[in-house]
Amino acid sequence: MAIRDWPIKRKLTAILLLISGLVLVLTSAAFVTYEVVTFRQTMRNNLATRAQILAANSTAALAFANEADAREILAALKADPHMVAAALYGRDGRVLAAYPAAAAAGLIPAAPEPDGYRFEGGRLVGFTPVAQGANQRLGTLYIASDTKAVSDALRLSGIIAIVVLAIAMLAAYAMAAALQGPISAPILALAETATAASTRQDYSLRAPKFGEDELGTLTDAFNQMLGRIEEQKTELQQHAMKLEQRVAERTKELERRAVELQAANSELDAFAYSVSHDLRAPLRSIDGFSQVLLEDYGAQLDEGGRDSLQRVRAASQRMATLIDDLLKLARVTRAEMRTERVDLSGMARDIVADIERTTPDHQVEFAIAPGLEAEGDVRLLRVVLDNLLRNSWKYTGKQPQPRIEFTAVDENGDRVFVIKDNGAGFDMKYADKLFGVFQRLHSTAEFEGTGVGLATVRRIINRHGGRIWAEGVVDQGATFYFTL
Amino acid sequence: MAFLTLVTVLTSALLLVQSPRASEYQVKAVFLFNFAQFVDWRSPPAQDPRAPLLIGILGDDPFGAILDETVRGERLGERPFEIRRLRQLRDIEACNILFISRSENERVEQILAAVQNRPILTVSDGDDFAKRGGMIQFVNDKNRIRLRINVEAAQAANVTISSKLLRVAEIVRTPPR
Repeated sequence: MAIRDWPIKRKLTAILLLISGLVLVLTSAAFVTYEVVTFRQTMRNNLATRAQILAANSTAALAFANEADAREILAALKADPHMVAAALYGRDGRVLAAYPAAAAAGLIPAAPEPDGYRFEGGRLVGFTPVAQGANQRLGTLYIASDTKAVSDALRLSGIIAIVVLAIAMLAAYAMAAALQGPISAPILALAETATAASTRQDYSLRAPKFGEDELGTLTDAFNQMLGRIEEQKTELQQHAMKLEQRVAERTKELERRAVELQAANSELDAFAYSVSHDLRAPLRSIDGFSQVLLEDYGAQLDEGGRDSLQRVRAASQRMATLIDDLLKLARVTRAEMRTERVDLSGMARDIVADIERTTPDHQVEFAIAPGLEAEGDVRLLRVVLDNLLRNSWKYTGKQPQPRIEFTAVDENGDRVFVIKDNGAGFDMKYADKLFGVFQRLHSTAEFEGTGVGLATVRRIINRHGGRIWAEGVVDQGATFYFTL
Repeated sequence: MAFLTLVTVLTSALLLVQSPRASEYQVKAVFLFNFAQFVDWRSPPAQDPRAPLLIGILGDDPFGAILDETVRGERLGERPFEIRRLRQLRDIEACNILFISRSENERVEQILAAVQNRPILTVSDGDDFAKRGGMIQFVNDKNRIRLRINVEAAQAANVTISSKLLRVAEIVRTPPR
């Protein structure tokens, strides 16, 4: 694990241990160094003292060249195992006596060197003058001690340092583990609370506060933040609830309105149906009796009378057609719907064949795209196509080269069926009037019709959940679009 | 010229033959000189601290120039050394150290009686010198020169010999008569 990913507890403990460890190591190093330096100095002083005593004792031996005595004096060094070698040189620089008596070659320098003490090759060696009286130099004493004492002292102080270091580090670890609490505990508590709040989305949690330091401030700020979030959440929930309530209310109201509207609508339809139905009986009487009058009494009437009667008949017949159309419209609204797959191309071809059979004098070029299909009620869709195609056929009546297309395009994922002609067209400012009942953009004299057809079409399309709209330019044709 | 060369060669040869003896007296000269450092004379307080330390040689001088060379330039404290060759007994009174040559062996007792109770360190390489009442005797022992000291004689003459010197010497007494 990378150091920066360590838990904060471990980081704090590590920092404390590192610092105390560094201090301890430096202190121990200073201690050991001091010990060794002091020890070396002490050792040097001790050796110098010992050499001086030896030198003082060996003056006579040197002065009178008494080897036995000199050897005896030096042999006293046996008591100290650290004394490696010693020698007495006469005034002439020759060795008078050496210690140990059978000193190995190289252990004793052949000639005295300058006075003084120095560490050399793992030994402390020294030359000191042997003199009797103030200025009478009799010779030189050589003395050499091993430095085992130094290394022993070094080892001892090293061991002490290591033991102290180990104990101190253990103590430091224990202290660090105990003392990092006041810093890590608030942070850990904060982290725990933050994690709990974010995973459980519970903003009513509060981090415990341990003191008035920066961590205390942080905890306070964090708790305040949690409080703010909690408030906002509650507020939001209240808003959402209110909104839902309102939507429910509106929906209820709309449903109520829809029921009312439906009731009113069916009432209206029933009214229209009965009116239309009831109107037909007197109309038939008018037409029938007008015909009887014309046939039985036509000879008794003059030309003007007969003409009037003819007009009465034509008007009543027109009215009958109107009533029929209105009945059809009412039926469209009331009829049951059966949805199935409908072949619109085939249906269009049937209608065109019918048109061409009944009116051979007005020939139109029909272009019907193959394979157009839709989901819907067969009878009602037939009414739609019949109305639209006959409408186009009617308004191309004055066109020398009339042409009608039935195609489909895909627009924004919706199938849009298109019926396009090059007939009389219309002014776009009346586009919204096109589909109203009895709304006509041309006079009956120009193009006959009742003004009910497109209204019927729109109702059927609406019942299928689709839309219908039209585009047109005067004398350049009209295009009807519908979706299902 | 050739003669002269011959004389030189002969002289050198003679010196070489004499060399062991010369070496012996060289050592003895150094010892004589060193005695001054291990011996304390109760000198009268009024004495001049720069007065020369006198080494007298009584009888035939066996040292030749060796002793003079040995003490040349040396001092004990501020006192220079001076060598005097003595012929007559009365000259010995000023000496601090008196070396009695073997040639005076016969009259040692007489000489010692003359210096009795005077602070003079008597030294000789004559036979049984110490036993006869002399203070320090040189003894030849296997090519080495040893010391034999009669402490009583020295004490009687108020000459204090350092214990260090006694350490390296053989102590003898004057046998009772």
